[in-house]
Amino acid sequence: MTPLSHYLIFSALLFSIGLGGAIMRRNVLVVLMGLELMLTAANVSLVAFSRAQGLEGVPVYDAQVLALFVMAIAAAEVAVGLALIVAMFRARRGVESTSLTSLKD
Amino acid sequence: MMQNLPWLFLVLPLVAAAADWLVLARRPRVAACVSIISALATMALCVAYLCGLQTGAPDSYVWFPVQGFDLSLGLLMDALSMKMMLVVTGIGALVHIFSLGYMKGDPSNQSRYFAGLSIFMFSMSCIVLANSLILTFIGWEMVGFSSYLLIGHWYHKDSAANAAKKAFITNRVGDFGFLIGILLTLGLFDSLHYADMAGHMKVEAGSPVLTAALLCLFCGAVGKSAQFPLHVWLPDAMEGPTPVSALIHAATMVAAGVYMLVRLQVSMGLDAFTETACCVIAGIGAITALLSALMATQQDDIKRVLAYSTLSQLGYMMMAVGLLAGEAAMFHLYTHAWFKALLFLAAGAIIVRCHHEQDIWKMGGLRRKMPLTVLCFLAGTCALIAVPGFSGFFSKESILEAAWERSMPLFVLGVVVAALTTFYMVRLCLIAFCGDARTHEAEQAQEASPTMLVPLFILAVLAIISGYGFVADQLVPYAGFHTSNAEWGVTFFAGLGALIVGGGSAWLIYGKSKTLSSKSDPVGANCVSQVLRRRLYIDAFYDHVLVDGVQRWFTFLISCLDDGVIRRLIGQGLALLTAWVGRLLGRLQGGSLRNYTVVTSLGVLILMLLLIIFF
Amino acid sequence: MLIWLILIPVIASVLIGFLHTPGRATALVSSLLTFGLGIGSIVALSMGAGSDWLTHIGDLPTTLTLSLPLSKPMLLLTVLVTLAAVLGMRAPDAAADRSWSISTLLISAGATGAFISDNLVAFFAFHELALIPTFVMIGLYGRGERRTIAWRMTLYLGLASMVLLAGLVLLYMQLGTTKFMEMMVMAAMGRLPASACLTAGLLLLGFGTLVSLFPFHSWAAPAYASAPTPIAMMHAGVLKKFGLYGLILVAYIFGSGSAQFFGDWINLLLILLLGNVLWVGCVTIAQSRLDSMLGNSSVMHMGYIFLGIAVFVLSGSSNALAYQGAGMLMLAHGLSIALLFLLSGQIERRTGTLEFSALGGLGRRQPLLGFFFGLAGMASIGLPLLANFVGEFSIFVSCFMDWKPGTVGSFCYDWLNNLSNMLGGLGPVQLTLVFALWGLVISAIYMLRAIRRIFAGDLTPVCERATLPLSGADICSAALLSAALVLFGIVPGILA
Repeated sequence: MTPLSHYLIFSALLFSIGLGGAIMRRNVLVVLMGLELMLTAANVSLVAFSRAQGLEGVPVYDAQVLALFVMAIAAAEVAVGLALIVAMFRARRGVESTSLTSLKD
Repeated sequence: MMQNLPWLFLVLPLVAAAADWLVLARRPRVAACVSIISALATMALCVAYLCGLQTGAPDSYVWFPVQGFDLSLGLLMDALSMKMMLVVTGIGALVHIFSLGYMKGDPSNQSRYFAGLSIFMFSMSCIVLANSLILTFIGWEMVGFSSYLLIGHWYHKDSAANAAKKAFITNRVGDFGFLIGILLTLGLFDSLHYADMAGHMKVEAGSPVLTAALLCLFCGAVGKSAQFPLHVWLPDAMEGPTPVSALIHAATMVAAGVYMLVRLQVSMGLDAFTETACCVIAGIGAITALLSALMATQQDDIKRVLAYSTLSQLGYMMMAVGLLAGEAAMFHLYTHAWFKALLFLAAGAIIVRCHHEQDIWKMGGLRRKMPLTVLCFLAGTCALIAVPGFSGFFSKESILEAAWERSMPLFVLGVVVAALTTFYMVRLCLIAFCGDARTHEAEQAQEASPTMLVPLFILAVLAIISGYGFVADQLVPYAGFHTSNAEWGVTFFAGLGALIVGGGSAWLIYGKSKTLSSKSDPVGANCVSQVLRRRLYIDAFYDHVLVDGVQRWFTFLISCLDDGVIRRLIGQGLALLTAWVGRLLGRLQGGSLRNYTVVTSLGVLILMLLLIIFF
Repeated sequence: MLIWLILIPVIASVLIGFLHTPGRATALVSSLLTFGLGIGSIVALSMGAGSDWLTHIGDLPTTLTLSLPLSKPMLLLTVLVTLAAVLGMRAPDAAADRSWSISTLLISAGATGAFISDNLVAFFAFHELALIPTFVMIGLYGRGERRTIAWRMTLYLGLASMVLLAGLVLLYMQLGTTKFMEMMVMAAMGRLPASACLTAGLLLLGFGTLVSLFPFHSWAAPAYASAPTPIAMMHAGVLKKFGLYGLILVAYIFGSGSAQFFGDWINLLLILLLGNVLWVGCVTIAQSRLDSMLGNSSVMHMGYIFLGIAVFVLSGSSNALAYQGAGMLMLAHGLSIALLFLLSGQIERRTGTLEFSALGGLGRRQPLLGFFFGLAGMASIGLPLLANFVGEFSIFVSCFMDWKPGTVGSFCYDWLNNLSNMLGGLGPVQLTLVFALWGLVISAIYMLRAIRRIFAGDLTPVCERATLPLSGADICSAALLSAALVLFGIVPGILA
């Protein structure tokens, strides 16, 4: 059986890639994808824990339910996020995150 | 219920004042009647008590109920206070009646005038009847206020408004000391009630703190009784209506300082009065008596002459207090109250009949125009200059006797002042009453109206007889008092000598027929006279140094510092600090999404690290 | 029941703000209701009614109470001044009328809430609520450089609130509860923590600045001079008392330990309050406008209340006279300064100016105005028979109650000890009082000069034209405050 640490390391890598994307890319669409990656990373570790904490091959279902929740919310979030991006593209003809400074100005 | 009858002394005038002011503002005649009725009623009550009415000790009024401290107000009904009340209510009632005639036809609001008189009666009664320094202080402040109101009665006149302000502020300076004195007394005797003071002193007799307390209390008397160096307000106070000058600034209020000190001597015991304190009190009294008698010799305003003479007589009383001769001080207070009220009221009648002319050099020949008034004035004058047989003679004699026994320099000073007193009063009478009328107004003067004459007659009789033993023994506000009937001793001859010297020199200077028709003082031009006319430059010093120097420039400097230094330093400092912090934090809010994300992730990272380290 | 004291003004301001009901009329109804309710609750409580129906709505307990020290007089002050402010309010136009009414009501609600809350959080929050309308009103409707003045006030009071909040949080952490009553129990049981010194300093600085303690007073006088009349009345008269109320409350919570809790800060307070009385007193004399003179005089009089608080704290909260006197003076000062601001507003309406040099002889045109002004002025300089005297005199006497004559001074400077010995062993409090009493003379000087310049003497051109008589509402408003001043001056016992 694959040890828990493997899953966690994978999850951490996934999270870092997501975070990196979210921070470094200027395109808001890609930032959103980074966010999705981070959520997925969290899901991976949740499911891994669920299995690791389980007794006699029966996983802890709480964590899996939580993972389902996260996916549902991530879907909603993507919907809202994409809508915002579309609105933003319409308003500004661009989706660069560096141009979002109207609060400051 | 009956034992609370004495509270009427306070309640009646207070109610009358409130009614006059609030309800009867548009009905001056009714207001006058209300005030007069209240004054007469209190006088009747006072007479009833002196005739032996007994109602028991009045309840005290718990003014401000506080745990652990007795802040109650009560009345003290002993011989000293009740006889003093007779002087106050007696002269008060006469002045109220006289005012009816005096204020007739005056365009100002007379309801306000009578309300002021009633407030004064209330506050003076507070001082006289107080059983503790608390009520004394309340009355003390309130007489100052009523005097302010009445001096400034004709407030549209600049001089009157300024005089009222000056009187109140000068008195406040005295009250500053008085209040410290009251508080020190509280510390030293553990009580402010006169009855609890004797024998409860917490320090040994003669200790410096006791002297300090007494001198602070005396400071109050200096303000109220217009002693040097706070005497400057009294001559200016003559801007008020003349009946007010008679009641407040001659007979009663200004004597409150003397009364208060005598009350303290009675309740603390003479042992408590340390030698230093007594020296200062007597010394200040003597200086006041001398300086103001000197200044009185060169005044041209009839009321100012009388005002300076009041100062000088108050100095006498204060000297007696300092000599621990409270009975002589109270005796003089009592005779002085009658004859000085008489002099002022008679002067008031003359002023009204001369169309508000107060300069004696514009009068003249009045003895033919208004003989009865002038006769009354002369009776008062004789009492003031201590002609044997008149009341002032007996009381001045008793003060001089006390001085003869205890302090030679003060005795000499007293005799000199007596001579000066005779000089300026004879001068006044010669110029105003003899010779021919100098102006049209004096020409037209006629006898005063009955409402004015009746009080004058009553006061004239009292000015003559009140010094004799059979009256004085009954009425002088001092427990166990006995007049020493005139003996042919040193003091008698000294007094007589002063009378002759003073009167003679006045006659020599002003009695010539040429002077009697001239329109200004023949000796007014020489430099001594100029200095005296300018009031020894004391007022000028106060005006320039205290009012201009401190009140204007010093406060201006402080306010500049306040604005320039404190506001700049603290206000701008705070502003700069806030702006700096704002700029610093503003950098974080760069508006770049990426920066926000970095900062947020860093924050989460730090939190996780902390979690790992500490748990 | 008490909750309505706060809800009624809030509801009224919502009505004015959103339904556009006439501003002054609605505010008048609201303040009459709170006036009746406030007086009713106080009377009912002192007649011995149970406090449950007051502090409960239905069966639910609220966080309001009238059983704290000084809650009752402060509530009385709030309802009185609110009613007078609304009665005497004259806004320039309809929009101003609405916003003035709303602000007055909100300040009133906030002040009431602060004075009758039984816990720390509500106490602080209500005060902050009441401060906001003050800034806005000065910024929008003030006289002179209103923006600068509003900003400066915001800065001082905002930072003071921040410092105060830190102090209150520390207090909470030390005592472990936010309820005042429970705090009292905890303070009586526990020893003082090591950080008490810091807490006390923060509280003193925070509360002190809110009350314009020297040298943090520069915001006060310009703000009062600039604010519209009802706002000046509400802030100077009512809201400013919050800081004093808070200090007394803290002293009360620590009871006999209060002297230890405040420690050396009290000696600093004694020195600073002299700054209030003497320094600001001199500044007051130098003013050439009535409004800034009144603003400064209000700062000056805070010195005496601080003195009462200092004595109360030093006596370990046992000197009832100091505490009663400070409470009485808070009430009386609130009434008299509100009346003075009301009347100065009336003077400005009639003459168009408040410069002393332009005014003169107004007493002949406006005798009634002169009467009220004289009464208020005399009250504020402590004339007997008026309420301020009771407070001042009690504070003065309380300073000497614990004095032991002839004891050696306990100052840390030799020259002060020598001075103290020379004066018969006066302690710090007594020495402070001796200096502070000079304020009696100072206040007489500026107040009498103001009366002299405005009402006496020759008529100036601006006063010549000031013939508009006082309206019925103006008279009612001034008479209400004057009557309260006289009542509490003659029978102060009804408050105790």
